[in-house]
Amino acid sequence: MVKVLRTGVYICEAGTGAAGSVDLRMLAEYARELPSVVKVVECECPNPDPVSVGEQIRKDNFDRVVIAADSPGYFKPAFARAMSLAGKSPENVVLASFVGNGAGASGSTERAKAVICCAVSGVPFGLAASQRKKSVHPDTLVIGGGVGGIQAALEIAGAGKKVYMVEKLGTIGGKMAMFDKTFPTLDCSACILTPKMVSVGQNKNITLWTYAEVEGVSGSAGNYTVTVRKRARRVDEAACVSCNACSKTCPGEAPSEFDAGICMRKAIYIPFPQAVPNSFLIDEKACLWVTSGGQKCGTCVKKCAKEAIHLNARDEIVEITVGNIIVATGFQVFDAVKMERYGYGRLPNVITALEYERLTNASGPTGGNIVMKSLKYNKRKKVDEWVFGPDNPKPKNVAIIHCIGSRDHNHNRYCSRVCCMYSLKFAHLVREKLPDANCYEFYIDMRAYGKNYEEFLERVHEEGVHLVRGRTAKVEEADGQMRLKGEDIIGGKVLDFPVDLVILSVGLEPVPESEQLASLLGIARDEDGWYAEKDYNADPTGTERGGIYLAGVCQGPKDIPDTVAQASEVAARVIRSILSDQMQDSRNTLSLADIEDGLRRQE
Amino acid sequence: MAVRANPNLLKQLKRYGADDVTKCFHCGTCSATCPLSQEPFLFPRKSMRYLQMGLGDRLKGNLEPWLCYYCGDCSDQCPREAQPGETMMSMRRWLTAKYDFTGLSMLFYESRTAEVAAIIVVGILSGIGFYLLGALSGGDFGSYPGFIPGHNAEYLTELGWDVKSVVLVMAVFVLGLLGINVLRMWWFTTGSRKDLNVPFDIYMKHILLCPWHFFTQKRYSECDKKKPWVVHIILMLGFVALFAVFLAHMIWQDDTHAHTYLGPLAGVMLVGASSFALSGRLNKTEAHYKYSHHSDMNFLYMCLFVGLTGLAQHIAGRIGCGAFANFMYILHMMGAVPMLLIQLPFTKWAHLVYRPHAMYFAAIQADVIAGREGAKGASAVPHKQSA
Repeated sequence: MVKVLRTGVYICEAGTGAAGSVDLRMLAEYARELPSVVKVVECECPNPDPVSVGEQIRKDNFDRVVIAADSPGYFKPAFARAMSLAGKSPENVVLASFVGNGAGASGSTERAKAVICCAVSGVPFGLAASQRKKSVHPDTLVIGGGVGGIQAALEIAGAGKKVYMVEKLGTIGGKMAMFDKTFPTLDCSACILTPKMVSVGQNKNITLWTYAEVEGVSGSAGNYTVTVRKRARRVDEAACVSCNACSKTCPGEAPSEFDAGICMRKAIYIPFPQAVPNSFLIDEKACLWVTSGGQKCGTCVKKCAKEAIHLNARDEIVEITVGNIIVATGFQVFDAVKMERYGYGRLPNVITALEYERLTNASGPTGGNIVMKSLKYNKRKKVDEWVFGPDNPKPKNVAIIHCIGSRDHNHNRYCSRVCCMYSLKFAHLVREKLPDANCYEFYIDMRAYGKNYEEFLERVHEEGVHLVRGRTAKVEEADGQMRLKGEDIIGGKVLDFPVDLVILSVGLEPVPESEQLASLLGIARDEDGWYAEKDYNADPTGTERGGIYLAGVCQGPKDIPDTVAQASEVAARVIRSILSDQMQDSRNTLSLADIEDGLRRQE
Repeated sequence: MAVRANPNLLKQLKRYGADDVTKCFHCGTCSATCPLSQEPFLFPRKSMRYLQMGLGDRLKGNLEPWLCYYCGDCSDQCPREAQPGETMMSMRRWLTAKYDFTGLSMLFYESRTAEVAAIIVVGILSGIGFYLLGALSGGDFGSYPGFIPGHNAEYLTELGWDVKSVVLVMAVFVLGLLGINVLRMWWFTTGSRKDLNVPFDIYMKHILLCPWHFFTQKRYSECDKKKPWVVHIILMLGFVALFAVFLAHMIWQDDTHAHTYLGPLAGVMLVGASSFALSGRLNKTEAHYKYSHHSDMNFLYMCLFVGLTGLAQHIAGRIGCGAFANFMYILHMMGAVPMLLIQLPFTKWAHLVYRPHAMYFAAIQADVIAGREGAKGASAVPHKQSA
C-alpha cells in the first residue's frame, strides 16, 4: 500500500492574470474535494515568505505541495525552501501551470480545475488530456504549395491516401522555384523541385487547386469541413496547352510575381514555363476586358485555338471534408523600403535577395547575367525606367548586406536563419560569374550552423570574397555612383567606398494572410506572427487543435532541408492517424470530465 | 603595457547614465551611421567595447566621447536599443569626474542631492553677499544701485573695486581648477601616451582649433541633424554675450551700450534655447533628449532661471520699478554664481573647456598618426581578412 501523501494546494493569484479569467474560489472548492488534499491555501502575496510558508507546512504536516498559478515556476524556489525549512523533501513541490496547459489568458475555470486535478494525482497534464479514439476522415488538406506542402502531399499520396492541395498563386512551387541554387550543395533549385511539382500535378491521389484560398473551416479533429474558393483563372486548365498565342497580343501588363517584380508579364500569363498546372491564367487587375467590364479588348479569346479562355468565368466555391489539415503557407520577405538608409526603392541598383535570385537565375530576365539596371524608355508609359537587360553593364563592386530587417529591435527581433547562408551563396555566384568583380559581405555574425555550412563558408572565403564584420549604415549616391558606408570592425576602420550593386539580405516574415488563416483554423500565432507549435521541443509540428499540423517556414524561419524534413514528419503523423483511425484531439475541446477520465486511464 | 580590466566599471558608469551598454552586439551600425566618426577615432562602438570589457584605463585616455555631439542618430538606428549616443554622453560625465582632481565632480555627478545642495548653499551665500554689498555700499536694499541703466551710474565707479576683488578671486578659483583639470586631461589622453610622442610644433600648429571649436562648434554642424547645433550655438552665444556684458561692466564700466542692447538679447537667447531644450527633455521629443541625468536638468533649470531673472531685472529697471529690479538682480546672481562655481568647474558646464581641448588633442593625435602611416597609404577599401 502506497502511503497517501498529505497534499497542500497553494493557489497563487499574485503575478498572474488568473484573477481575471479563472474563478479562484471555485478552484479552491474543487481542489478541497480532491483525494489526498488536506488543505487549500489561497495565496495573494507576490513574494511568499519561505519562513512563514514553512511554518504552515510544518503545522499542517504537508508531505507535498502543489502550486497552482499561471506560471507557478516563479514561486517554486520559495516553496522548495519552505519545504526544506519544514523538514520535508523539497522535491515534493509540484507545479500546476495554467498558462502551460491552455488555461491561461483565454483559459476557463474548468481547464484550471483539470490542471490542478492532474497535478494532485501526479500525472502529467499532457498524458491525461490526450489521444482519444475517434474516427478519422482519410482525406487530407494541404494549404500552401511550396516545397513543404509538395513534400507532405507526395508522401501522403504515396501512401495511397487522398490529398487536396490549395495554393494561393497560379502555380505551385513557392519560393524555392524562384531560387537559382541551393546552399551549401549549389544544386540547381529548379532541377530538384520541378520533378516534384510535376509529380503533384500528375498524382491521381492529389487534387490540386491553384489560385484558390481557404475560406472557412468547421468541424473538429478528424472531421473538418473546409470551404475553398477557387478563384476564376478564366483559362481552362485542362484545355490550355501553353502555346503563348494569347499573351503575345495582350495589352495588359503587371510586374511578374515569379521574377520578384524585376520584369513585367502580361495580364494573361503563365507564371513560369515549368508551372504546374501548366496553364495560363488571367490577372483580373491587369486585364483590360475585366477592368472595362467586358467592354474592351478580348483579343486573347480570338487568338486561342483551343477555345480555353472563358473571360466571364466566375469564382467557384467547393466544400470538402478532410481528417487532417497541414498548414505550409511559408513566408514573405521583409520589405526593405522600411529601412530607408539602404536606399531600396530609391536607388535603382539596390536590390533584395529574391530579386538577385531571379537576376542570377538562367531562366530569369537577364539569362543569368549579373548586371546593373540601366535607364530605358518605356514606350507605353512614355517615361524612362530603370530596368535589367541581358546586355547591361556588369557591376565591378558588389556588396551584400546581411540582417536586413532581422535581429533588429526596430523591425524583427529574431534571426531569419537562412540569410547568412544564402548571402554566401550569392557571393559565390558573383565570384563565379564575374571573376573580375570585388564582392563584399557585410555581416554581424556569420551563422553557418548546419551540416557542411561551415565548410561552405570557408570555401566562399577562399574564393576571394571579402568578408567584413560590421553591418553597413548607409548606401548613398553621389554623381551617379553609389557609395557604401560601414564599419570594418576587425580591420578597425570606417569604410566609405564605391559600389555598383548592393544586395540586401532581407529576412523572412509571416505572410499577411496568416492572421486570418490562424483565426479560421483556430490555431495560435506567436508574438512574431508565426504559427505557434504545441510544444517547442516535444511537438514542434502539432498545434493546440488536433489534426492541424505545421510544416516549413510558417512555423518559424528554416531552410529547405529542414522544411522538407518537417513536411515528411508531418506526413508520417497524418498517415499514422489515418491508418490507426485515431488521433490526438484538440485540447481546447476536452472537458473536465474527459480529462478526469483520462486520469483514471493513466492510474 | 598590461591591460587591466575593472569588473565594476559598468556598475560605476550606471551612476552616470549608461544603462544599456551590455545590449550591444557590435554590428557597427552606430559608428558607420555617425558622420563624425572618422579615422583614427571610430566611435561609439569601440568605446562601447571598452565599457563592456571594463577597460577603465583605456576609457580614461579616450578622447572619443568628446568628439561626439550627440545628435542621436546612432541610438535611433541601433538594432539592439543599446543607446550608444546616451552611452557616449555618460562617458563624458564620467570623464569630467575623472579629470577633476578634487573629487567634487564625482560627488556631484553621482549624487543629485549633493549637486542640488551645493547649488542652494552657494546660491544663498551669494544672495546674502550681494544683499550686504548693496546694503553696505548703497544704504538700504531699496536703493541698491544694481544694474539699472542710467540710474546711479556714477555710484558704480565707487563700488567697482569691491565687486572686482570678489570676481577676481572667483575667476582665479575657477580658472585654476579648470586649468589643472585640462592638464590632467592632456596627460591622460595625450601626454602619457609614449606611442604618440608629439613634437612641439604639432602642438603649436593646431592651437587655434581650441577657440575655433569653442566659438563655432563647427563639428556639431557636421552632424546630419542641424537643429541641435542651432539650439546649442544660440545657448552658447547667449553666454558669450552675457560674458561680454559682464566684461564691459567690469573693465570699462560701460553700462549703456553693452547692457542696454546685448544684455536683453543674451537673456532672450538663454531663455529661448534653454526652454526649448528643457521642454524637449521633459517630453523626450528627440533621441538626444530621451535620457536626462540630473546634471543635465539642473544645468538647464539654472540657465532658464538666470535668463528669466536677468530679463525681469532689465525690464523692471526700464519701466522704473527699481526695488523689484534690485530684488531680481539678487536672484539673478543667486543663480549665476552657483553656475560659475559649481556647474562650470565640476559638472555639466565643464564641457565648454574639455570639448574644444578634446578637438585640439584629437587633431594633434590624428596628425601624428597620419604622419606615421602616411607612407603606407591608407585605403578606404576593406582588406581581406580571416572570418
